[in-house]
Amino acid sequence: MLAKYMARRFLASIVVVLGVTAITLALMKTTSGSYVPGIDLNPSLRPEDIARLRADLGLDRPGWQWYITWIWGVLHGDFGHSMIDGSTVTSHILDRLPNTIELTLTAIVIGVIIAIPVGVIGALRHGSKTDHTMTVVSVAGFAVPQFWMGLILILIFSVTLEQHGLPWLPSSGAYSAVNGGDFFDRVEHLILPATVLSFFYISTWSRFIRSSMLEVLSQDYIRTARAKGMSERRVVYLHGLRNALIPLITLIGLELPGLVSGGLVVEVVFGWPGIGKLAFERALQYDYTTVMGVTFFATLLVIAGNLLADVLYGVLDPRIRYG
Amino acid sequence: MIGPSRVAELDMPGAAIETTTSRPAQSYWNESWERLRHNPIGMAAGVLILIFGVVAILAPLFSAVLTHFQPQSVDLLATFKPPGGAHMLGTDELGRDTLTRLIWGGRVTLGVAFLTVGIALSAGTAVGMAAGYYGGWADDALMRFVDMVLAIPAIFLFILMSILIHPTPVTLALIIASVGWGNVARLVRGEVLSVKQRDFIMATRSIGARDVRVMIRHLLPNVLPVLIVAASLGVGQIILIEAALDFLGLGIQPPTASWGNMLTNAESYFYHSAWLVYFPGVMIFVTVLCSNIFGNAVRDAFDPRLKS
Amino acid sequence: MSRDEDAADPGFAQFERFLEAWSRRDFLRRAGGAAAFMAFSGGIVEFLQACAGGGGSNNNTAGTPKKGGHVVEGNFTDIRTFNSMLSSDTASNQCIGLMFDGLTNQKKDGTIVPAVAESWKTSSDGLTYTFKLRSGLKWSDGQALTSDDVKFTYALAYDPAYKDFASPRRGDLSKYIKSIDTPDAQTVIITTTQVFAPFLASHGNYGILPKHVLGSMDAKALNTADFNNGPTVSNGAFKFVSWQKGQQVTMARNDNYWAGAPYLDQWIYKVLPDSVAVTNQLKTGEIDIGPIDPGQFDSLTGTSTVARSEFPVPSFNFYAYQLDPSKPAGPLFQDKAVRQALIYALDRNAMNQAIYFGHATAADSVEPPTSWAYKAKPQVLYNFDKAKAESMLDAAGWTKGSDGIRAKGGLKLKFTMITNAGNKQRESTLTYMQQAWSAIGVSATPSLIQFPQLVSQIVDIRTFDMFLVGFNWSVDPDESPLFHSRNTAPGGFNGAFFKNDQVDSILDQALVTLDQNKRKQLYYQFQDIMSDQVPAPILNFAHGIWGVNTRVQGTDFGPFNQYGLRPWNHNVWVTDGK
Repeated sequence: MLAKYMARRFLASIVVVLGVTAITLALMKTTSGSYVPGIDLNPSLRPEDIARLRADLGLDRPGWQWYITWIWGVLHGDFGHSMIDGSTVTSHILDRLPNTIELTLTAIVIGVIIAIPVGVIGALRHGSKTDHTMTVVSVAGFAVPQFWMGLILILIFSVTLEQHGLPWLPSSGAYSAVNGGDFFDRVEHLILPATVLSFFYISTWSRFIRSSMLEVLSQDYIRTARAKGMSERRVVYLHGLRNALIPLITLIGLELPGLVSGGLVVEVVFGWPGIGKLAFERALQYDYTTVMGVTFFATLLVIAGNLLADVLYGVLDPRIRYG
Repeated sequence: MIGPSRVAELDMPGAAIETTTSRPAQSYWNESWERLRHNPIGMAAGVLILIFGVVAILAPLFSAVLTHFQPQSVDLLATFKPPGGAHMLGTDELGRDTLTRLIWGGRVTLGVAFLTVGIALSAGTAVGMAAGYYGGWADDALMRFVDMVLAIPAIFLFILMSILIHPTPVTLALIIASVGWGNVARLVRGEVLSVKQRDFIMATRSIGARDVRVMIRHLLPNVLPVLIVAASLGVGQIILIEAALDFLGLGIQPPTASWGNMLTNAESYFYHSAWLVYFPGVMIFVTVLCSNIFGNAVRDAFDPRLKS
Repeated sequence: MSRDEDAADPGFAQFERFLEAWSRRDFLRRAGGAAAFMAFSGGIVEFLQACAGGGGSNNNTAGTPKKGGHVVEGNFTDIRTFNSMLSSDTASNQCIGLMFDGLTNQKKDGTIVPAVAESWKTSSDGLTYTFKLRSGLKWSDGQALTSDDVKFTYALAYDPAYKDFASPRRGDLSKYIKSIDTPDAQTVIITTTQVFAPFLASHGNYGILPKHVLGSMDAKALNTADFNNGPTVSNGAFKFVSWQKGQQVTMARNDNYWAGAPYLDQWIYKVLPDSVAVTNQLKTGEIDIGPIDPGQFDSLTGTSTVARSEFPVPSFNFYAYQLDPSKPAGPLFQDKAVRQALIYALDRNAMNQAIYFGHATAADSVEPPTSWAYKAKPQVLYNFDKAKAESMLDAAGWTKGSDGIRAKGGLKLKFTMITNAGNKQRESTLTYMQQAWSAIGVSATPSLIQFPQLVSQIVDIRTFDMFLVGFNWSVDPDESPLFHSRNTAPGGFNGAFFKNDQVDSILDQALVTLDQNKRKQLYYQFQDIMSDQVPAPILNFAHGIWGVNTRVQGTDFGPFNQYGLRPWNHNVWVTDGK
C-alpha cells in the first residue's frame, strides 16, 4: 500500500518539477526581451555580436527547445554554466548551500530552544499575566518587518557599539575578510542574522506549542494520568510536552523548503552569501541556467518537505491511511 | 509569507470545530461573537484596524482638511524638516509631508492587504471546495496543481511577475495572491472533506440538490470560520510581505507611497532624520500587531476549547 | 566597462551601468544611492579637496611606507570574471585592474602612462602603433611575459579564429585592428584599419592574458575556462588567492611585479549589501576603502578614521525626448521650443542640492567638465526661469486647456517618464520633474521599470515617451554612441532618435582628426549645437566620493582612477602594518 502510494507521489513529483521549471522558464522568456544575460551591453557591442552571443547561449531558440536541452542536461547531472560568470550552476549551489544551512539551522535551533519553554509556560499558566505578556511579545516579534529589525540591529550592535569603543558584532558576510573563517569568527558573524531569522520561528512556534500544549492537557489521558495521582511535573513533561512536541517536528520539517527563500530578506540585509540571495540576484540578472538550477533544487526541497510532513503525519497518527 | 508560510495552516485549529447540525447553528455564531466582544484586547485591535481603514479611505479628505498637502507635492527647499509646525510629522528628502504620505501610504498598503486577502480567499475557497467536494480525479488534478503553485519558490514568482507586470497596488495584490491562494485551497479542501461525509450532506445530495447549492448553502458556512480566521491573520502577513517586496525593490514603486517603501527609502537617512524611519515602521508594526491580535481573538472566539 | 577607466571600450560611452547594471545596487531601492553614485557624474571644474576628517584619502605624506598588512575594499557587486577580455562590469574590472596590467595605464587626470609597455609611438599616418615592452617582465609564476602574450590577448577579441569567444570587445577591435606583429619578444606593432583617434586611450589598457596558460584552448573552452574564475598567474601588483562567490576576492602580493613588489601583503575585495553598508563598515573599520553615496556623505562627518575625497567624474545624468515622429510621443517634442521650455522649468541647482545633497553640479554642456574638450558656456544656457518656460510654450502654440494641461491641435502635452527602479536619485529626479512641469501645465508621469526593460526600451523597443538615465564617458570626448544618427539603428544608444546632419559630420570628422586642438574646436562646435537642439538635456554632472580609512596611505583616487585603472595600486600601504 505504502509502496503504491509512494510510487504515485513520485510520479506526481515529476510532474510538479517539470511544471515548475517550465513555468519559471516561460516567465523569464516572456519578460527578458532581447536582453542577453552576462553581457553588459555597451556601445561597442554591435548588433551582430549580440546575435552571436545569444546564439551561443541558445537563447535564439524557442523556449521549448531550450527547455528540452536543459532537461536533457539535468538528466545527465549537468545543470550547465551560469550565464553571468561561466561557473557551473552546481558549484554555485554547492558554494552557497552550506552558508544557508548554517544560518537556517542556527535560527531553527535558537527558535526551538526559546520557543519550547515560552510555549509551555504560556500553556501551564494560560490566562495569567506571564502568559499574556509572552503572547504579546511573541505576537509583537512577528509584527516587525525582518529587514527593519536587521537594519536596526546593525545600527545598534555594529555601528553604535563600535563608535563607543565597545565590543561589537560584524554587520555583513559569513566570516571576516581577513584571516576569517575559524569557528568563533563564524559564530560572531552568525549572531545578528540568526537572531533576526529566529524571531520569526520563536513567534510562531511558541504560539503553536502553547496551543498544542493546551489541547493536549485537556485530553482524557492527561486527566487520567492526573487522576492516577501522577505528579504534575511528570504529567506535563512525560505526557503533555511529548505529545505537543510531535507536531512541532512536523512543523520544522516544513521549514525545509523555506531554506531557499525563507532567509532571503535576512541574507540580503546581512550580505549573507546564501542560496536565497543567489537566486534573487540571478533572477534579476536573467541568469537562466542558475535560476533554473536553483528552482529545480528548491522545488525538490518543497516536495521532500511535503512528503516528509505527510509521512510524519502518518507515523504520528495511525488513523491516516495511504491509499 | 515569503518565509515559512505553511505554519499558518497548521496553526489554525479551525479544522477542529465540531458541529453536528447542517451548518453552524445561529447560536454558534452568536456565542462566538459574544466571546469576541468580551475580549477587550482583541476588540481594541479590531477597532484600530477599522480606524486605519477609514482614515485610508478618506485620505483625500484628510490631506485637504488636516495636512493641507498632497502626497506628491515636492518642496526642495523644505527637505528633512523635523516634526512640528506646518508639517506635523516632518518632511522627507524631497520635502514631502510625512503625515500626508503616511495616510496615502496606508491607503495603498491596507488596500493591497485587503485586496490580496480577498483574491486569495475567493480563489482558494473555490478550488479547495471543488476539489474536496468532487474528489476523485478532479481532486487529484486540482491539488497537484496547488502543489505545483506552492512548490514555486515564492520569491521567483514575485521577481519575475513584478518585472512582467508593472507593480501597481492592484497587480501587486494579484501577484501576492497568486502564491497565497494555494494554502487556502488546501485548508478549505481539508475542511470540506471532513464535513461532506456527514449525514446531512449525504442526505441533501441524495434528494438531488444541485452541487453548487450544496456547496454554497451547506459547505460554505462550515468553512467560513476557518476563512475568517485566515483573513484576519492574513492581513498582517501580507503587509509584511508587501514591505519585504518594497525592500527588495519589487513592490510598490515610487513616487506612490506605501508604508513599506517609505520605510525602505528612509533607511539611508537614519543618521540625521530618524523620524522618517520611525513613523512608517510604527504604522507597519501596529497594524500587523493588531491584525495578529485580532486574528487570534477571532480564532479563540470560534474555538472556545482553547480559551477555557 | 566604465569607460572612464576601465576603459577601454572604444565605444566609449558606457551605458552606464549597462554594464554594471546588473549590479544589485541598481535593483534594490535601498541601494539607490549607490547606483547613483556610479552613474553619477562629476562635474565641477574645481577639484573639491578631501573633506573634514583629516588626512585626505589622497595623500602620500604620512611617514615612510611600511611593508605588510592588508587593505579591504568594499563595493556592492560581486565580480563576474577575471578575464579582461570577457569583463564588461565595474566590479570585475576593479579586481582585474589589481591583478593584470595592460600595455598602458591612466593617471587620475586621464593622462596615459606606461604599464607593461614602457613606451610607444604612433606612425605619422595614425594607422600604426608600435609598443616597446619593458625588459624582464615576468608573470607571477616566473615565466617571461612577451609580445606573444600581448598578441594573444588582443587576438581573442579580433582574430576570426576566436570568433566564438564571448568577448564584448570584439565589435570594436575587429573593426579597427588589421593586424598585430611581434618582430621580437619586446615589440608589438598594431596596425589599424583606419584612423581612430581614441584608439590608445580606449584599447591600450586591457589586462594582458598569459598565453602559456590559455594559448592551447579553443575559443569555446576559453569561455568557461577555470582561469576566468581563478587566474593561476597574473602580471599586476597582486595575484589571485581565492574567490568566495558573493562574499569576497582575496589577492596577495605579486613579488614579480614589474614596478617592484607592492607594500601590502593582501588586497581584499569585499561584496557588501548596499551603500548604507559601505558607510557603516567604513565606520566600523570592517572595510578600508569604499565608494560613498551622496546621501550618506554627512553621516561620515564625525568619523575621524575615514577620510573622504570628492572629485568630478566623467559622467552625467540626462533625460531624452522621444524624437521619432512615428512614436506616440514623438509629435510632442519635434518643436525645439518645447524641448527648451521644459528645461527652463527645471531648477537644476535646487535638484542638485536636494537630490544629490550638493554633490553634483548643474550641467550646461554635453561634455563632462573632466574632458579636455569641455566648453563651460556653450551657446545656449538654461537657467531656471519658469515664466520664460511658460511664455515659450504659449508662443509655440501650446495653450492650457480646461484641465490645466497644455495642448496644441488636439494633442495634449502629456507623457510618461521612465527610469530604472532602485536608483533613488533618479526616482527623486522624476518626482521633482513631474511637479516642476505640472506647474507649467505639462502632465508628466513617472514610471519605474526594471533595468533590463529600460535597456530594451532605449536600444530596441523604443516606445518610451521620455527616459532618464546616466552615462559614463572615457577620457575621449567622442559622444557618437549617444548622438550620431547611425546609432539610431536597433542596438544603438541613440534611442531618442536624434538625427542632425551637422552633428553627424562633426562627430565623424573629430574621430579621424589626430590634432587635439582641431578636435577641440570641433567638439566646441558640437557642444554649441547640442545646447541649442537639446535632444537629451544633461541634468547634472555628479561627483565621485571615496572613503578611505586614515590608516591607508598612497591611494590617489580621481576622475579617471576610480575602479579598474589605478596606476598606484602597488604604492598603497598601511600605517599600522596590519
